[in-house]
Amino acid sequence: MNFWSRLRRFPLWSWIWFIIGGLYFVLPLLATFEFSLSWDPEIPFKAYQRAFEDNDFWETFIYSNILALATIVVSIILIVPTAYWIRLRLPEARRLVEFITLMPFVVPAIILVFGLIRIYSSPFNIPFTDIRLMQPLTNFKAGTNILIVAGYMVLAMPYMYRSVDTGMRTVDIRTLTEAAQSLGANWYTIVTKIILPNIRSALLSGALLTFAIVVGEVTLASFLGVDAFGPYLFLLGQHRAYEPAALSFVSFLLTWLAMGLIQLFTGGQGQAAGAH
Amino acid sequence: MAQTAIQLKSSGTATTNWRVWLGVAPFLLFAFLFLFLPSLRLFTASFTDSDGNFTLSNIIQLFSEPFIVNAYKLSIQISAVTAVGGGILGFLMAYAVTVGGLPRSLRSVLITFSGVASNFAGVPLAFAFVATLGRQGFITHILRDYLGVNIYDAGFNLYSFAGLSLVYMYFQFPLMVLIMAPALDGLKREWREAAENLGATTTQYWLRVALPVLLPSILGAMILLFGNAFGAYATAYALTGGRIGIVTIQIGAQIRGDVLYNPGLGYAMAIGMVVIMAVSLAGYSWLQAKTERWLR
Amino acid sequence: MKPRKSLINLFSLLLLVSIALAACAPAATEAPPAATDAPASDPMSDLVAAAQAEGMLTTIALPHDWCNYGEVIETFKAKYGLEVNELNPDAGSADEIEAIKANKDNTGPQAPDVIDVGFSFGESSKAEGLIQPYKVSTWDSIPADAKDPDGYWYGDYYGVLSFLVNTDVQPDVPQDWADLLDPKYNGQIALSGDPRASNQAIQSVYAAALANGGSLDNAQPGLDFFADLNAAGNLIPLIANNGLVATGEIPIRITWDYNALAAIDTFEGNPNATVVVPASGRFAGVYVQAISAYAPHPNAAKLWMEFLYSDEGQTLWMKGYCHPIREADMRARGVIPADLLAKLPDVSGAVFPSLAQLNAAAELITTNWDAAVGADVQAAP
Repeated sequence: MNFWSRLRRFPLWSWIWFIIGGLYFVLPLLATFEFSLSWDPEIPFKAYQRAFEDNDFWETFIYSNILALATIVVSIILIVPTAYWIRLRLPEARRLVEFITLMPFVVPAIILVFGLIRIYSSPFNIPFTDIRLMQPLTNFKAGTNILIVAGYMVLAMPYMYRSVDTGMRTVDIRTLTEAAQSLGANWYTIVTKIILPNIRSALLSGALLTFAIVVGEVTLASFLGVDAFGPYLFLLGQHRAYEPAALSFVSFLLTWLAMGLIQLFTGGQGQAAGAH
Repeated sequence: MAQTAIQLKSSGTATTNWRVWLGVAPFLLFAFLFLFLPSLRLFTASFTDSDGNFTLSNIIQLFSEPFIVNAYKLSIQISAVTAVGGGILGFLMAYAVTVGGLPRSLRSVLITFSGVASNFAGVPLAFAFVATLGRQGFITHILRDYLGVNIYDAGFNLYSFAGLSLVYMYFQFPLMVLIMAPALDGLKREWREAAENLGATTTQYWLRVALPVLLPSILGAMILLFGNAFGAYATAYALTGGRIGIVTIQIGAQIRGDVLYNPGLGYAMAIGMVVIMAVSLAGYSWLQAKTERWLR
Repeated sequence: MKPRKSLINLFSLLLLVSIALAACAPAATEAPPAATDAPASDPMSDLVAAAQAEGMLTTIALPHDWCNYGEVIETFKAKYGLEVNELNPDAGSADEIEAIKANKDNTGPQAPDVIDVGFSFGESSKAEGLIQPYKVSTWDSIPADAKDPDGYWYGDYYGVLSFLVNTDVQPDVPQDWADLLDPKYNGQIALSGDPRASNQAIQSVYAAALANGGSLDNAQPGLDFFADLNAAGNLIPLIANNGLVATGEIPIRITWDYNALAAIDTFEGNPNATVVVPASGRFAGVYVQAISAYAPHPNAAKLWMEFLYSDEGQTLWMKGYCHPIREADMRARGVIPADLLAKLPDVSGAVFPSLAQLNAAAELITTNWDAAVGADVQAAP
């Protein structure tokens, strides 16, 4: 009897799904890895040596990581209050905002980047005068960085918004807000001290998705002339056989590692632990 | 503290107070500046032909050309199949690591891995699958040499609709995992206990309590998966060489090809995609409104 | 405590990120040293000085392994001390044109100065006013049918369509187009792009026409040939690249001879591979160079052209197995190193289509490819 009741409590199906899913995920990666090792039977890691010989690998990877972090932070600042406000006070806006956040799926990245260039390559003048307020964004480094972070935010918008929205749905926003206000908190305090911590695991999901998108992105970066990781990989590996496999495997691992760090940094996940 | 009491709106009284809309103004401004303005060309160019004159022919072609109609059908099909398939599998995986009782560390591993896998697409993904399940793939070899099963003789073909769907799942179901894991966290233990106290079986708990609560999140995630697959291009191109003529590949051929084509038609097709997303969103909203009745 | 801590974390992260972004160094380059080359003629040294004043050149769609562009760019940078900004190496010709259009008002580093596009795009971009004329000092030695008489565009190199064969997997090497139909190549052949959009793939079909009873004016036999190849199951829909050839999934890849030869170099013996220029149906594809009418660095662009069309530049292309456009002239003057000459495959008898023929064939192939190959996967009703 003891054995059977213990067996019933053993999450058999969970393990089964996990293992099936795990196999599906891991096998293609294993195939890529195995292929990348097969270049020279005497020097199995030749492809990796070649790939790492290039200094630009680390430079561009780190730069892309920084861009990714910037995108995540600004996205959170933009989207969390918006989603919060919609849930709390403005349900009519919900469909509109959801529609907007689904649009990046149907606008090809190449149209987006050319559009951004067209619009932001002309100088900003005060209307009806010739007084120049600011140089065009494309002409200086910080301006281009702003453009590309904005572009990345647009690309990541669907994922970030959906994560945040799902996270907020599971938390009783209304009650929390009322309680906080009855204790005298202002909006800023509510959002940062009450809402944000409660949707931490959702924020983490959104952050991870954004991170992967930014680090792997090629179109925006290469047409805006930014030295990011995506274009670098492209430049290096397009016409080779083994290096691209090695590089895609390595960048997968490195991105995974970076995500692990993000997770540690944000203090883990999950609100009420052990929900049943 | 002289705080104005918050008027919490009860459902029904519409507020036309424009000040409330200020709250979403930053977001709308951002979307306007960095999404609409750059994409405006999409709209204007779809009414232009290759010589630059105004024309409705691009839009008309959307309905009259069989290859375009077919492209939309294919895109919708593959997006729907992978949204549902990826959705179910993703949900099961998310369930396994949250509510399903697997060790905590596995959850971290799965979540971070899903983060990376959700964006693993395009040529590297196609290559990985070819190296696994292609004619010379290592699983194909294992199955053939050790189990005597030749999957290609049995009719399996990686370079087909089924194969493409299989590959799409690689980034679809991690996405589902990432969205659903926080939602599953929201299932309170007390509900389960209360249900069990009242004598519910696991099935009844799931059917009557958990799933209705989760359904809006599940639907929301699935529309995201749908959009994700709908907009995918590089993977399909790399794996099937444009044979499976989904809309994004047709748009690519018109806009990005090495051959002089009709970009106006490409943009018109993109507008068609916008319309389809809008329709899907409407359908999803309707479904969600029905299911949200369960909450509150 | 926890929320405050994460708030502090958030702010320090934001601060760190802002500092990092603001301080981000521009692309790593050294300050331009004085030109190490002392050009003989005065206009040339004026041009060099003007180009160095501009300080940078923006290129687009130049993969490093294509015609040895990697070394071409590095040599150019070292010789003249200019910075070279490389935009999307994967861009197709249409993307390059679009980039010029989108960057009309832009003087920043996103605007391409020079483009390298398919033959048909030379005329069309001239008609749209997107390029500016410039005749390099070696203009006269460029064949007349490969350049625009007004100097707007000019052919740069050409290659011949060939088969890259992974001999480890398929030791039986096909020698001609007709051999490809043999059943022993079942499921082993692929094109390097989609014939509805990719230059290389379209011209592969066009080339097959030449070997199958067609001519430069009639590309239909090419479509028929590929229809047969597909029906026999020899053609697979994957887009071939060198990785797939190396795994053995696609032992036979139809591509430009310079790509195939460069691939064999990168394989370094694993796998063993060889290039076959088909015995009949030798089709030469020309690419053209042009300077953007809106180039922010016109002098650097002109210097780049001078470099490319000098003997040095043309020889560097030859190192990438491309046939430079001035090849006949250089052979006549005997300036090509003998070892390079030995490496170039024999492409005698290769035919060059005219612009009109090319456009007509492209039109035919792109519209009829789906029907020919039965590639239209029909959606379930």
